[in-house]
This record gives sequence, C-alpha cells and structure tokens, in this order.
Amino acid sequence: MGMSLQQIVFGVLSIISIISALGVILSKNPVTSVLCLIVTFFTIAGHYIMLNAQFLAVVHIIVYAGAIMVLFLFVIMLMNLNAEIEPQKRSWLKYAGAISGGALLLVLLAALREASVSSLQPGAVEIGLISNLGKTLFSTYVLPFEVSSILFLSAMVGAVVIGKKEGHES
Amino acid sequence: MNELQLIPLLPFIILAMASVVTILLIAFRLSHTVIQVTGFLMMCLVVFATWYVRDTLPEEVPPLFIVDGQAALFTGVIIFCVLVIGLFSYIYFEEREENPKEYYILLFLATLGAAILTISQHFISLFIGLELLSVSLYALIAYLRNRNNAVEAGMKYLVLAALSSAFLLFGMALIYMEAGSMKFSGIAEKLPQVSSSPLFLMGLGTIVVAIGFKLALVPFHLWAADVYQGSPTPVTAFIATISKIGTFAVLLRFAQTIHLQQYPLIIAIFSVIAISSMIVGNILALRQQNLKRLLAYSSIAHFGYLLVAFLPGNEAGTEAAAFYLIAYSITLLSAFGVITLLSSREHEAETLDIYTGLIWRRPVVATILAISLFSLAGIPLTAGFLAKFFVLSAGVQQAVWLPLAVLILTSVIGLYYYLRVINTLFGTSGTADVMQKTVHPFFHVSTYITLVVLAGMLFWIGVFPGLVLQGIRLFLLLH
Amino acid sequence: MPVQYYIFLSIVLFCIGVMGVLMRRNAIIIFMCVELMLNAVNLLMVAFSKMWADAGRVDAAGAQIFVFFIMVVAAAEVAVGLAIIVMVYRKSQSVDINIMNRLKN
Repeated sequence: MGMSLQQIVFGVLSIISIISALGVILSKNPVTSVLCLIVTFFTIAGHYIMLNAQFLAVVHIIVYAGAIMVLFLFVIMLMNLNAEIEPQKRSWLKYAGAISGGALLLVLLAALREASVSSLQPGAVEIGLISNLGKTLFSTYVLPFEVSSILFLSAMVGAVVIGKKEGHES
Repeated sequence: MNELQLIPLLPFIILAMASVVTILLIAFRLSHTVIQVTGFLMMCLVVFATWYVRDTLPEEVPPLFIVDGQAALFTGVIIFCVLVIGLFSYIYFEEREENPKEYYILLFLATLGAAILTISQHFISLFIGLELLSVSLYALIAYLRNRNNAVEAGMKYLVLAALSSAFLLFGMALIYMEAGSMKFSGIAEKLPQVSSSPLFLMGLGTIVVAIGFKLALVPFHLWAADVYQGSPTPVTAFIATISKIGTFAVLLRFAQTIHLQQYPLIIAIFSVIAISSMIVGNILALRQQNLKRLLAYSSIAHFGYLLVAFLPGNEAGTEAAAFYLIAYSITLLSAFGVITLLSSREHEAETLDIYTGLIWRRPVVATILAISLFSLAGIPLTAGFLAKFFVLSAGVQQAVWLPLAVLILTSVIGLYYYLRVINTLFGTSGTADVMQKTVHPFFHVSTYITLVVLAGMLFWIGVFPGLVLQGIRLFLLLH
Repeated sequence: MPVQYYIFLSIVLFCIGVMGVLMRRNAIIIFMCVELMLNAVNLLMVAFSKMWADAGRVDAAGAQIFVFFIMVVAAAEVAVGLAIIVMVYRKSQSVDINIMNRLKN
C-alpha cells in the first residue's frame, strides 16, 4: 500500500513540527526555543496550505513568525537572557510536569481512538480563499471584528501604561 | 444585519464609547476629576440605555449575540458594580498620585468584555469577550507598577489566564468537531447524536477547566489569593465581582442552551468542583491574617455555594443564582470599599492589625465592614442569608443532597473566620491610628455615603427581598 | 486523508505545550508554550473547517474566521504580556515564575 504524496508531505511536516516543538520546551537557551517555535509555525503554515486555507497560512506567517516571534526574540535579546539565568526547577517538579502532560496526552489519545470521524477529501474547497473569508468576516462576523478592534485598543493602552518610563513621581 | 438589530446593543455601544471619550479627555489633558465625573455619567447613560431598550427584548443579533432579559439583568449588575468601583477608584488613585487617568479606559474596556460575555451565544463572542476582559485585567492588575506585588500578580494572572484560554479554545475546537457549529443552539441541535462521544466530553471538560479558572474554583484557584492581594483594591473588587459575574453569566447561558445538567457526568464534575471549592476555600481562609487574601478564599467558597444553585439547572436555580450574585456583589463591594477607604498612600489596609479596635476609632466604617462580613457569613437579616437560603431551596427541589450538606457544614466553618475578623474590630489594642483622608472632601464624602447606602441595601434586601426577586423574575421572563 | 491525523498532531503539539508550561520556570518560555498550544488549536480548527466544508456545511468558513480572531487576540495578548514580563524583569532581574512561592508561607 503506497502512500499518496499528500500523506508523505503531511508526515514530513508533522515530524518536523513535533521535533521542533520538543525543541521549544527542551532547549536550555531561550533563543533556540524561539527559533524552534518559528520552525514549528512554518510547518503549521504548511499544514494550512494543505488544508486549502491559503489566506490563514499567509496571515499566520505574517502575524506569528513576523510579529509575535520577533517580539519574543526582541524581548529575550533585550534582557540578555541565556541558559544560566533560569533557575532549574527541582527535578521532581519537572518530572511531575512531564508526567501530567503525558497523562493528558494519553487521555486525549484514548478519546481519539474511540472517535469516529470522516476523511478529508483531497479536492479543493473554496472557503479558505480570501474573497470568501472577507465576505464572511465583514457580513456575518462584523460585530466581533469591531470588538476585536476594541481589544486592540485595550492591549495598546495596557502595553503603554505598563511599559512607559517611570514618570515624574520617581 | 440592520440598524434595528443594533438598537438592543445600544448599552454596549455606549460602554465602548465611554472608553473612547475617556481617551479624548486624556488627550485634552483634562483633570482626573473631570474624567471621573464623565465616566460616572457615561455609566449612568448605559444604565439608562439598558432601561430604554428593555421593550425591544429579547432580540437576537445573529449569529453571535442575544440580548434577552437575563443578559440585561447581568449587564445591569455589572454596570452597577462598575459605577461603585469607579467611585472607589477616585480616592484610591488620587491618594497615590500616580497618573490614574488611563486606568478608566481599561476599567471600561474590561467592563465591556464582561458585558459582552452576558450576551454571547456563540464561541467566537465568548472567546473575544473573555479575552477583552482578561487583556484589560492584565494591565489593571499591574497598574501600580511601583507597588510590591502588583507586577508579579499581573504576570501570574497573565500566564494562567493565557493557559486557561488555550484550554478553552481546545475544548471549543473539539466540540466544533463533533457538533459542526459554534453557536450554542447549533450545538444543542446536534447534541443527541454526539453527547456520548469521548472527544465531545473531553471538550466540555477542558471548557470547564477554563471557566473554573476564571471563577477561581478549586482546583484552579491557585492564582486567586496572590492576585487579590497584589492588585490595587478597586481592581480586586473588579475581579471579585464583574469578571466573575460575566463568566458565570456565559456559563449559565451555555448550560441552559445545551441542557448541560442532563449529563450525570457533568453534574458529578460540577458537584466535585463545588464541594471542593466550599471546603478548600473555607479552610484556607481560616488562618488568614490578611483581609484581602481572606476575601479571596472566601470568594472561592462563595462560588462553590453559587455552583450549588447552578447544579439543578432549573428556573429556581437561575433565580437563586441571580439573587446570590446581586447580594454577593453588594457585600463584596462594601467590604472592598472599606479597605479602599482605610488604605493610605504607603499601606494597603489589608493586614488585620489595622482593623484592631476599629469600631472605637471609626465606628461607621467598622459597622459597614461588620455588616458586610455578616452578610458573607450568611447571618439572618442580611442579604447573604437570604441568598444562601434561596440556593438551598433551589437545591432541595432537585435533591442534590451532598453539595447541600457540604454547603451547610462549610457555612458553619465560615462563620468562625468572619466572626474572628469582627472580633478584631472590637479589640482594644488600637495602636496604629488610621489616617483620615481629607484631601478630596467631595469624593471622600461620596464614597462614605455610597458605603452607607450599600450597607443599607444589604439590610434592605435581607429583610424585604420581594422587590429584588420581582425584578429578577421580570427580567428572566424576557427570553 | 483521515482527519484523525490532524487531531493526533494537534493533540501532541498541545500536550507538548502543556508539558512546557509545567516544566519550565522562565515566564517567556511558558508564554511561548501557550502560543504553541494556541497554534495546535488553530490547526485543529482549520482541519475541522475543511472537514465540515467537505460535508457540505456552508458556515464552515466560520471556523477559519475564528482562527483569524485567535491570531488577533494572541497578538494583543503577547503585546501586553511581554510588557508585563519586561516590567517584572526590570524590577527583579529575573523572569522566574514561581507560582507556588507565596502559598508556602
């Protein structure tokens, strides 16, 4: 039984994303973590393209790899963090964390085994195209769109208030 | 969507405008007083708008929002709380002389987030409302950056809230997989086919985790005490009331729409959470020497009590929950108001030492605090007693005996530490004299009057609950 | 291709994120793990959107819009969050999150 091209691409992308995700949590150096996370994000963008969500793939690269991760990298470099600064958790806490995460994984996978879900058809669907999403966003979902703009206002005010230089009071 | 559908959203639009108006006022460099008064008036306008649109209720704004009587009721309570908290904020922040103006923008935006939660009937609006609330709260908690624990509390809340929203989203995705819809009613339609699917139940479970975090229920309560202590007192009052009312409102709507209470498994999970919240909250509060932390643990316990009203999933339960939230909000607002009033520039009035013998120095303030503690403890003649009574009677109807028994037992434990604080108030060794605030006589007096009115309301609701109950029923019928 | 593959991948990524949150003490790394979890959810949502679109649901685009909103919100959250973390670092020269520290005393 041969694998289709799609399955091969999926397999390769998935392996890279899982390995780089493990890199995020296991690497001692925060900068390496950030870089691993960026790799994960790129593979996820690959998955989006395979799922015919082209618009989201582009937005994902721009927002996550372009904006969010750069912000992270910027902050880490600003603080000049490196491996030695982070105090290590006592090892039993670390193991407890790993074990509870693994337990969650097992429970979820067990639930997945019970589930019966359909297959994805290889054919292209229209919904991920920008014209279609744009129409949906600005007709049905226009109110949450406005609310998310208010959310940005809140984030902006919050970041400015917290991050601004010590005022005249000091 | 047309203009007519926007009319029921008027209160929310005004609420959003309030923050923009505040930004404009700041841009024109107007004083704190002007901003405070304008904010107050805007909130009054929101209340007025809620009253104005009540004839158009219930109105659905598809697919995300539904403005019905229940939403209007909870929005009303939220706006009432923000009115009072706004008033407390003035003397609190003016005292500290850090620039307090941006605080009001964030306060109104967070309130908007909570208000959006009350009208949500779709996962997208639920998520965005919750995040609007959380993102504003991050900044609000860390607002007094120079204070000891403020930023640390902000970071703690940030990490845990972000984690909980990841869980929330994961649950939503699993439910979407099974139901094919993110609208509560759409999920309810598909429910008979999917309700036994393990992934669907996992989805519900992770959503419960996220909601439990927001309501600070055991075992997701670890943030509560530190965040309550670290935040500025008005923000603590905000977290204890508005944030939780909004979250509870959306939980209630979700449960009502998909008839959550018909699943024995879900009932079992919520019972365990309720019971452990009541026990752990009350036990952790027993030895607290810090009033803010004590109130944090007490609010964990109180939301355990509230869940007992949620368990039956009947009309009486909803009524009892609404009444409980109203009584609880007024009680906590008066308690936090007293803390605000007694806090000075250097010290937050949070350790119990400050309250030793307060009754002899500031009789009125001490009496108000005592009344609110009585109400928290559920002593007869106060609102807290009737609230608990209604919860009990709602629970008896559906025979949820074990949580009821725990409720009664833990209330007795609760009595101990509330009375311990009241005992402190009557203590004799009044050493540290609390500084009288006279810098802003007008606002000082109005805070004072507000506190007296709140305490009066506690008694009034506790003795004559009829009017409040009638109002609640009137609103709940609009659906 | 069965949609289980995607669910499997998402669950693994999500749980790696959870493990990271529980195992690390650096607030920035923890925050990054939360982003990883959010991305696992996004992937799940997009896969389900495709699944329901294949099944003929016209409103399946809603799930992709949701992913769009999740990205928007994540960006906002990161902006405020990193501001707070930088503030903590400026005050205490450390980004060590010690969730349990104060509960001990």
